Amino acid sequence: MTADALPLSVRALRKKYRRRVVLDAVAFDVRPGEAVALAGPNGAGKSTLIGCITADRVPDAGDVRICGTDPFAEPRGAAACMGFVPEQPFLYPELSVAELLRFVAAARGLDADASSAEAARLLAMLGLAGAEQTLCRELSQGMGRKTAIAAALLHRPKMILLDEALNGLDRTSAERLVAELDARRAEGAAVLISSHDLDFLAGWCGRGILLPQTGRWTALDGDAWDTWRRAPTLAG
Amino acid sequence: MIRIAPIAAATSRANSLSSLSLLLRLEARRLADAFRNPLVDAWAGVALPVVLAVGGLWLAGASARPDISTVDGIILLGLLVAAPVSLQAYPILFRPDDDGFLRRLGIPARALFGIRALRLFVLALAIVLALMIPFVSTRQPLARPFAVAVTAAVAAWAVSLWAQARAAARTSGGRRGVAAGLLGWDPELAAAAALVYAPLYPLVAGAAAAWFVGQEVWTMSLRMLVAIALSLVVVPVAAAAFARALPRFAPHAGELAYAPPPDASGGELVVGRGIARVLPRRAQAVRARDAVVLGRRYRWAGRAAWPVAVVCALAVIRAGGSPAVRAWVTLACGLLLVAQAGAVVALGRSERGRTRGMDRALGLGLADRLVGRWAAALGLGLGLALPLAVGWRIGVDAGGGWIWLAAAAGAAAVASLASLTAAGR
Repeated sequence: MTADALPLSVRALRKKYRRRVVLDAVAFDVRPGEAVALAGPNGAGKSTLIGCITADRVPDAGDVRICGTDPFAEPRGAAACMGFVPEQPFLYPELSVAELLRFVAAARGLDADASSAEAARLLAMLGLAGAEQTLCRELSQGMGRKTAIAAALLHRPKMILLDEALNGLDRTSAERLVAELDARRAEGAAVLISSHDLDFLAGWCGRGILLPQTGRWTALDGDAWDTWRRAPTLAG
Repeated sequence: MIRIAPIAAATSRANSLSSLSLLLRLEARRLADAFRNPLVDAWAGVALPVVLAVGGLWLAGASARPDISTVDGIILLGLLVAAPVSLQAYPILFRPDDDGFLRRLGIPARALFGIRALRLFVLALAIVLALMIPFVSTRQPLARPFAVAVTAAVAAWAVSLWAQARAAARTSGGRRGVAAGLLGWDPELAAAAALVYAPLYPLVAGAAAAWFVGQEVWTMSLRMLVAIALSLVVVPVAAAAFARALPRFAPHAGELAYAPPPDASGGELVVGRGIARVLPRRAQAVRARDAVVLGRRYRWAGRAAWPVAVVCALAVIRAGGSPAVRAWVTLACGLLLVAQAGAVVALGRSERGRTRGMDRALGLGLADRLVGRWAAALGLGLGLALPLAVGWRIGVDAGGGWIWLAAAAGAAAVASLASLTAAGR
């Protein structure tokens, strides 16, 4: 991992399931401070693309670097740089919210006192203050997602990946989360976010990746982004 | 402001050992939840099948006890220990629920190997203890069978770790051995040939270790030590192979579990077919759904029944007068019925907080769910019990075949009760 490496770099990424090509020659970078939208209809390959970045899917070809590290060759280096909220987050049902965050902090080797304070701040920001002792199995879908968001942001990652992360969040929490992400971006963190809320993506992100259908993709930069953000659509 | 007390010393670079220590504490905390927040349904869902299995082994007594005065019996004991260990090694090593979560936290692969190897070892010891039950119930000396079983368990455990890690490395590396050619009729199976054959190594190792230890009483302790020491040598090799393979194989394992669209030629959901028409309409719907889900999610439970049933039925027809034949037939079929009951209970556990809500919204009552699930479970068990009952009637006792039908019905009743209890509110 090098200090000046891009938070995310994807080159010639190809992924197929059996004979169906889902991603073909996908290539893009995410620079520090950027928020990049990932848009596409259901089944177009958004989660597969994010999975190939987080090493939850094995690409058939291509190269992924997170902060300059290959997530397959150096998984720990990539993990240290990345915060990821999956579409269906995993939470230990037997642990309370506080215990889960305590475990995450310890697993990442974070300072106990600092991570404790940061966890408290994140939970309060997301409206989970008072739910620390609630078992994860008792959380509602939205509360579970908030817990997963807090766990993903706890170590102040340089690359934040959010797969439908705003789903199930109430409006106040979503606004606070966006403000938090803006603050992180101001510190140099980058965000790749997939969502079906095209208006939100158009309003908040600076450019995008559009997967209009399986196997096709379009980079929305510069004029293309300006055109798209005026009338966001899933058509390529 | 919450107070989050540290549970691990804060270090800038957590090494494998401290990560393993952290995972052990996590495991302890998760297990302790059953006592900290006891749920009657969760306990019943676990306890009922355990009581069923322990009670069955106790009552089966001599029928379920390999005769370790013979070499065949010693090898059989080794195989009985090694078989479940070898079959459970893959899901324990590569398919835990939290695999992706822990990898994304940067937990070192060797720490993941450590905790999963420990889980497999605990399973191996539990199997050894279960297999000692018939020896205890028939008041047999325990020292020799225990020594044989423990050695076989350690050998099967260590070789399972190595074989699965090696198979994972080969599969994710795209390497195909000579044996892959035998699976050429299915290209995807051939690509995973190393994983298909991996359970054979621990089976052979368990049987060989049992034979090596059990053949002479006076040198048994020394032989046991040698066999265990040789087995333990394999573990670091397995750990290294696992650490190399995991980053690429773990996501690959998830894709291997991909279920293709169901074959329209069989197993589709049909309500009110055959003898199920005698059930109330709502129970028919539950039976049809549960039968399809059981058939797709736990396909092994149905597929294993026919070969076992055919072999056992032929055996009792040809040699049903032999107590030894009746004993192994009873053991094999009893174990399969328990395994099928386990699948039914697992179905209930997987429904916790999900299907129950849908059933409530559909107006399905407890009686509908219980009768429907019992009928689905019975359908699973009858694949084994029917041919066996016919064979038993011909080869053993003209009036005795019904006992297998009763056993299947009883196992289905206990399993469906436990399954619904495990499904919770």
